[in-house]
Amino acid sequence: MIPVIQSLIDATSAGAVYALAALGIGLVFGVLRLANFANGEIITGAAYALILVWPLSWPLALAASVVVAIALSLLMDLAVFRWMRSQSAASLLIASFGVSILLQRAYEGIFGVNVRTGAVAPALTRSVNVGGLRLSMLAIVAIILAAVLLIAVHFFLTKSRMGLQVQAAAANFREARILGIRSGVMIAVTLGMSGILAAAVAFVLTTQSGAVNPTFGVQATLFGLIGAVIGGLNRIGGALVGGFAVGFALSLFTTWLPSGFGDFRVALVYLLVIVVLLIAPNGIFAGRTAKERT
Amino acid sequence: MTSSRTSRLPLVGWRVPHVVLSLWTLIVPLVVIWVVASAVSNLLPAASIDLGYALATLIIVVAMWSFIGNSGVLSFGHLAFVAVGAWTMSLLTINPSVKSSIMPELAPFLAHASANPYAALLIAGVAGGVTALVSGFALMRLHGLEAGIATFALLMLVLQVLTYWSAVGPKSGQSMTGVPRSFDLQSTLVIALIVVVLAWGYGQSRSARMLRASRENAQAAPASGINITWHRIIAFAISGALAGVGGAMWAQTNRVVQASQFGLDFTFTTIAMLVVGGMLSVWGAVVGSLLISALNHVLGLLENGMHIGAVVISLPSGSRLVVVAAFMVIILIFRPAGITGGREVTWPFRPPDPFLRRGPADPGRDEQEMVMFQTDSGRVG
Repeated sequence: MIPVIQSLIDATSAGAVYALAALGIGLVFGVLRLANFANGEIITGAAYALILVWPLSWPLALAASVVVAIALSLLMDLAVFRWMRSQSAASLLIASFGVSILLQRAYEGIFGVNVRTGAVAPALTRSVNVGGLRLSMLAIVAIILAAVLLIAVHFFLTKSRMGLQVQAAAANFREARILGIRSGVMIAVTLGMSGILAAAVAFVLTTQSGAVNPTFGVQATLFGLIGAVIGGLNRIGGALVGGFAVGFALSLFTTWLPSGFGDFRVALVYLLVIVVLLIAPNGIFAGRTAKERT
Repeated sequence: MTSSRTSRLPLVGWRVPHVVLSLWTLIVPLVVIWVVASAVSNLLPAASIDLGYALATLIIVVAMWSFIGNSGVLSFGHLAFVAVGAWTMSLLTINPSVKSSIMPELAPFLAHASANPYAALLIAGVAGGVTALVSGFALMRLHGLEAGIATFALLMLVLQVLTYWSAVGPKSGQSMTGVPRSFDLQSTLVIALIVVVLAWGYGQSRSARMLRASRENAQAAPASGINITWHRIIAFAISGALAGVGGAMWAQTNRVVQASQFGLDFTFTTIAMLVVGGMLSVWGAVVGSLLISALNHVLGLLENGMHIGAVVISLPSGSRLVVVAAFMVIILIFRPAGITGGREVTWPFRPPDPFLRRGPADPGRDEQEMVMFQTDSGRVG
């Protein structure tokens, strides 16, 4: 029984991280129709900020990572995506792929190809024993952090005036503009939120690994993007659940696959993704209204 | 576009036959490839290694065009078929004694299999085509972004299997070395030209025309009795087969094959080539891949340090992809339909076509409309 609970807790914390990544991607997609591949480089940028600034002072590092993430997110839009608003979602995806590759090489040029190591929040790497369960502090912190952020995002979107405007813009951008919602502000707010979420992902991942390299954020973004798609890109909640499911499945496979098949855990997740898309081509939670995006 | 059937030569009353007009769209790309390849191999012998890579990549990009260009569905997964082709070629042509030492756990039928290069090339094509056909039955029901992500999942799935399954390759993460160089530049060029002819020929077929109809209007095409899924599967299988051939040519050019080589960077490079040239025409695929390959070559020289007079110009390594990525993004912003505008080469003596579309299906043309959308609504709904 104990190993089962143990693995479920681990899986929940992995799922929480990917859920955050997927939520950031889903939010931006809702408003801009941009499935942002370059979200990974926002995470990487925040991770570099955390690792490099942490030795100086930890509050400063946290602040720096959030600022870097938001700035990168806004800059990308200003430099590239802003000029492509009238283009198809596929073109935007390709462009963000380009931005992602470009930033990866830029990080390589600035920080070098090799990993930069540094202890971020070393206090969290310990684990505690609760009735035979070995709980890593980080897993708990990841779950709490994700829960807090998700609740915050939820309240922001449903209770605040600005959040409702973001939702309106996500539902129908054109109509929202006609009704007097300022699109530029909505886009900036959404990008800012995705930046904060990316910084949170970076915090958990850097604490876990204590190292960062130029392709640091790619994995989380891939799974986040895939999770968002299988959940249903045009439903924010769908993206969230999809991301969680991907992380959860990956972690369970890691724990429970027999040793000979352990190498194929990632392959299995991708296989599962294809199967899910076959059953629900628009994503699990897309509903019936989503047929238009060809 | 092959929409207008005939045209008058100026001053002469003779109508140019339709066959000439459509063959023109094939002959020009072939001649351009041949001239570029001959010029490079004769004038710049130092560049002949890169020329081999350029031709192999050209095959891959043209293969991708035959699906993406005709169907309008984005695929990030074609490198999966390239990898399968490269794998097949390597397994069939590596010297058996070398093979048994680097891949001890190989399945028996693969361990003993060998073929001459041309047969291996064909088998690589078949392997790529069959992989695409099988996965196509599953994937081609999807549309738009979901299709893009699902093909991407396919790529990752195939790469993971090739990386870790030691019955079909080397031990995890290791590479297959000693792939013999089976084709010289001349035959590589001929094979590339044949692939362009095949892709173009497919583009002229009834199935491809129906697919393009579905690309232009996903509602009207099925209403006219076109089974989109079926024609997409056909296109996917054909382009998978051509991509397999491309992978085989790439493997024997590179001579070392490893699953990780077919990852994001390679996917990005080929997609950038297609986007820069113009996704919707075979001419665009050819122009884009030749152009980016040339750019890559020049940047590669600069990375190694180039002497111009007394000045040594050198770029940091890795700047190749930065430049290519920046170039692609700029093209996407300023000329979204690519350099060729997504058109085939047009017969030069054609009177201006009054029916040439300026509508939304042809984004390269409607700059005016785009500006309007930007100022007016921010995006199209």
